[in-house]
Amino acid sequence: MKVLPWELRKLRAQLRVRVAFLVCLLGPPLLALVLHSQSGLPKDTLFGRHVQDSGFALPLLVLGFAGTWGLPLLTSLVAGDIFASEDGQRTWAAVLTRSRTRGEVFTGKVLAACVVALGLLVVTTISSLLGGLALAGNGLLTGLSGTQLSAGRSTLLVLASWASVIPPLLGFTAVACLLSVLTRNSVVGVAGPVVLGLLMQLLSLLGGLGPAAGALLTTPFAAWHGLVRDEPYFGPLWQGALVSAVWIVCCLLPARWVLLRRDMQ
Amino acid sequence: MLTVTGRALCKTYDETVALSGVDLAVRPGTVHGLLGPNGAGKTTLLRALLGLIRLDSGTLEVIGTVGGFVEVPGAYAYLTGRQNLEFLAGLDDLPGDVDEVLRRVDLFARADTKVGGWSLGMRQRLGIAAGLLRRPDLLVLDEPANGLDPRGALALRELVGELAAEGLTVLLCSHDLVEVDALCEDVTVLVAGSVVWSGAVALLRARPGRFLLTTSDDEAASQVAATRVTVGVSPAGGLVVTGRTEQLDMFVLDLAAAGIAVRGLLRESLPLEQAFLELTA
Repeated sequence: MKVLPWELRKLRAQLRVRVAFLVCLLGPPLLALVLHSQSGLPKDTLFGRHVQDSGFALPLLVLGFAGTWGLPLLTSLVAGDIFASEDGQRTWAAVLTRSRTRGEVFTGKVLAACVVALGLLVVTTISSLLGGLALAGNGLLTGLSGTQLSAGRSTLLVLASWASVIPPLLGFTAVACLLSVLTRNSVVGVAGPVVLGLLMQLLSLLGGLGPAAGALLTTPFAAWHGLVRDEPYFGPLWQGALVSAVWIVCCLLPARWVLLRRDMQ
Repeated sequence: MLTVTGRALCKTYDETVALSGVDLAVRPGTVHGLLGPNGAGKTTLLRALLGLIRLDSGTLEVIGTVGGFVEVPGAYAYLTGRQNLEFLAGLDDLPGDVDEVLRRVDLFARADTKVGGWSLGMRQRLGIAAGLLRRPDLLVLDEPANGLDPRGALALRELVGELAAEGLTVLLCSHDLVEVDALCEDVTVLVAGSVVWSGAVALLRARPGRFLLTTSDDEAASQVAATRVTVGVSPAGGLVVTGRTEQLDMFVLDLAAAGIAVRGLLRESLPLEQAFLELTA
């Protein structure tokens, strides 16, 4: 665990990480401002038609958006670069001649990437919730079944919905870590998971995958839809968590294996 | 006990043989030079010492901790020099003092500026500081004077000399033979992944069977030599004597019998550069 705090300090000093947090902090309120200043609403998106009626609609609108490409991009910004940057800056020699083993360094870096990804998620959740409430108030939220939900229930649902994307978010973090280790290239590490996410979305839209669609890492991003109903269903959440766990294991095990054995420049 | 003992070290990258049965012995408290033309396997050997690569075969034993860098020392450009070292110290169990090593490499005054704006020479010194921060028993330096101006290179030589005087073992890889000559007691010369020489610098420079002789009467000495050894005139004064050691012994006795005093007798020593070029030709 000695590597984690130092990795976090290092990440905190990076401009891209600061910008990512700033975007997560200011993006949702700015989006709310734009939506409230225009007459038309994004009615073709989930909860888009309700953003002026209830402040709880905005975080769910943002969540729908984020699951498509936003969250994979945000986590890749850190995780896709966290190993490759050591190659790019030729710092492996300095890092690996300290008292920590390669395994400890790997674990510390993966944990740091996860902590930052979760931090970005929390900031986005809070800023979108507060931004929505500030601009539209805490009016009743209309759920996907058409029932109006109280402010208390809506708050819980918003928080639970955002929490439900943690497993696939960590899944994409693991994918980014794997690409970062394998390619030693930050561009591939950052862009790769985003492209993969978009390809998965495309495959889902095209259909025809049948039950195999459940194995896609993007499917769990929509599992929260089951929560915002009169009769909530949790099956997709558990399935999404399981699928994400499989992706995490299948990415991190080979990444660790490669990092422990590969020759460093 | 040796600080580094390497036996039959082998490493191949795809089809390229980087190390082929290399033996390495580094005595404690010495500055050991690692020489060789480009592609000889020097950097591979240093990487193996730093634990950055896995050797195909052979045994490599290092007594104590290793610090240092290969090729250009890396650093986080978005951190200051001090932050770079604090990060590395955070990964060590018993790290050295950051301020102390910064002063040691003369970077204390610039320590709080971001490394992104630093010159190559400053980065080299930061790399040495990072190595020293670990309180190493063996410091590995790969072309440390690369990018340094003459004054900086001189300061670096002084620093390495001081570290060696304090008992630190230094493995210095360099193409600068003046630097190697000035600093190293022992050298290992690699060519195409194999050791072609390992031992004291003085022995590498010495030319076997050739001696420089000065006497009270060089002309008479030349005549006495006729039957024992081959004698020529040295451009630097005195005589160049070629022959086996026992022949030389007899020649010196002949000189004494002839009443000619021997005022100096040395093994002919080549400039390190010439010795290196002959060895690696």
